Amino acid sequence: MNCNKAYQVPPWWKRVGSVWYRHVRVYNANFFSNTITPFLEPLILLTALGIGLGSYLEDFEGMNYVLFLASGLIVTTAMFTAAYECTFGTFIRLEFDKVYDGILGAPISTDDLIIGEILFAGTKGFFFAFAVLIVGWLTGIITYPLSIMAAGAGFLCGVMFAAISMFITSAVNNINHFNFYFTGLLSPMFFFSGVVFPIDNLPAALRYFAEMLPLTHVVRISRAFCVPGGLKIELFLDLLYIAVFILFFGYLAVKKLKRRLIY
Amino acid sequence: MIEYVKYWKGDIKLDDVEILVRNLNKTYGNIKAVDSLDFLVKRTECLGLLGPNGAGKSTTMKTIYGVSVPDECQDTDISIFGFHPRKDALKIKALAGIVPQQDNLDSELNVKDNLAIYAKFYGISAQLARTRIEELLSFMELQDKAKARVQELSGGMQRRLTIARALINNPRLLILDEPTTGLDPQVRHLIWNKIRELQEKGVTILLSTHYMEEAFQICNRIIIMDKGKKILEGPPRELLAGSIEKYVMEIHSAQRGTRDYQSYCTEYGLRYECFQDTVFIYSNEAVALSVLGDQLPEHDYHIRPANLEDLFLKVTGRSLNELQ
Repeated sequence: MNCNKAYQVPPWWKRVGSVWYRHVRVYNANFFSNTITPFLEPLILLTALGIGLGSYLEDFEGMNYVLFLASGLIVTTAMFTAAYECTFGTFIRLEFDKVYDGILGAPISTDDLIIGEILFAGTKGFFFAFAVLIVGWLTGIITYPLSIMAAGAGFLCGVMFAAISMFITSAVNNINHFNFYFTGLLSPMFFFSGVVFPIDNLPAALRYFAEMLPLTHVVRISRAFCVPGGLKIELFLDLLYIAVFILFFGYLAVKKLKRRLIY
Repeated sequence: MIEYVKYWKGDIKLDDVEILVRNLNKTYGNIKAVDSLDFLVKRTECLGLLGPNGAGKSTTMKTIYGVSVPDECQDTDISIFGFHPRKDALKIKALAGIVPQQDNLDSELNVKDNLAIYAKFYGISAQLARTRIEELLSFMELQDKAKARVQELSGGMQRRLTIARALINNPRLLILDEPTTGLDPQVRHLIWNKIRELQEKGVTILLSTHYMEEAFQICNRIIIMDKGKKILEGPPRELLAGSIEKYVMEIHSAQRGTRDYQSYCTEYGLRYECFQDTVFIYSNEAVALSVLGDQLPEHDYHIRPANLEDLFLKVTGRSLNELQ
């Protein structure tokens, strides 16, 4: 063994990539159980709500209710998977499995670690969104070819909720406290972001509230790709919101979680 | 011009220093975990940090690779291969191998994949990683387990894998935090042999332990720490010869008898110590102890050469601290 080798720190993108790769490999270790669920969930929701409830509803916004719902579910599945990954998942890696202690023994900085993890959650969001699309295509609910781009909204949604979830995790000392986040924040978001019903006809106060929610903006982008003529210039405002949100909470997550890792 | 620095005894060339720590302090809340610690580690030396739980060993090691931030003190100086852990942690970690106290392998993955993923953290190419992994598996005697999932491995195998993982980058410094805690004697001896082998190949080693035997077996020099402070420093044999009597007599159930050992010891100039129900009497002359032993029932006492553990207990005390 040669011990006089010069040091070699990989470039940052390789370091972030190696953290991302580690998560992908561990996730794929349970490939079957991890791959089936993203397909089952939208199937159940689309059958129950879309077909069951949808048969009583008229078409609106130029689409039938099943399509309306499906185009929203693309991003909500991404939201939930990223949020679980970066709350319970991150907390377990941090406090119980001590995975980060192992990674930080290698030439990986806390920034690399956190950014790699957020990107992995984004990838999971992409994958989950894609699963909903596949279900939508196979059932004939989604037919517009450009809808494939909605998976990109799934990625953005995953990154957004990974960033805010990691920020929340940085302040949590008891794993049970995540229940407040899920019940208090994410579940209401599911209902008030235009996923199950349009927000345009809500009373003004509720509409402004809905516009403040991050999910509203990714739902809009996802939906725009699912119907012909859906793409409008106003979507750039939604993209801007998403970019600012990711940068703001991503920065906070990196800054606050660093203090949990290096003290 | 060659610069010299003060070693524990005498001076050594600055170029030969792998780890330099000057006035290291670390406070958690109102607990002083490390208190004005100074030490050097010379290239290819094996230095052991000894101390009870909470002595500051882990914190000291974490400071070296930048995972713990020391208190800001004016004359604090830390330099690892000439790098400062706050500024160049990644460079230090690229050159070092770290074995944390707790195994944190990816338990769902197999042995090979664990090493392959770790190799990626160092930017080692897949091809080079493959040959490195083969080498390391046979070095740590894990070649038959290459495809086994980590959760199927015994504790000793997991420990060996964690050490193999730390060696993936051919480190010039290996940091081991309690490498053999909780392992059986066979595995401990195997790990000691491997550490010695690495040292012979030129790897510098810093390890923490509370096994005196371990320090005696593999360390060139030890530092005994207690409550964050350095108490003793030197090669294990020298410390034994210089800091503690040659023999110790243990008398069990000493309270049952009516003998007054303490005044006996004062009378004959022996060092006396009593902990719970056991009396310890120290002397450089075995005869002095056996004379006393002859007066006691045979199974009540035991005379043996003093070891590092006796020294350790002498300097850190026998009672428990709040972290033990």
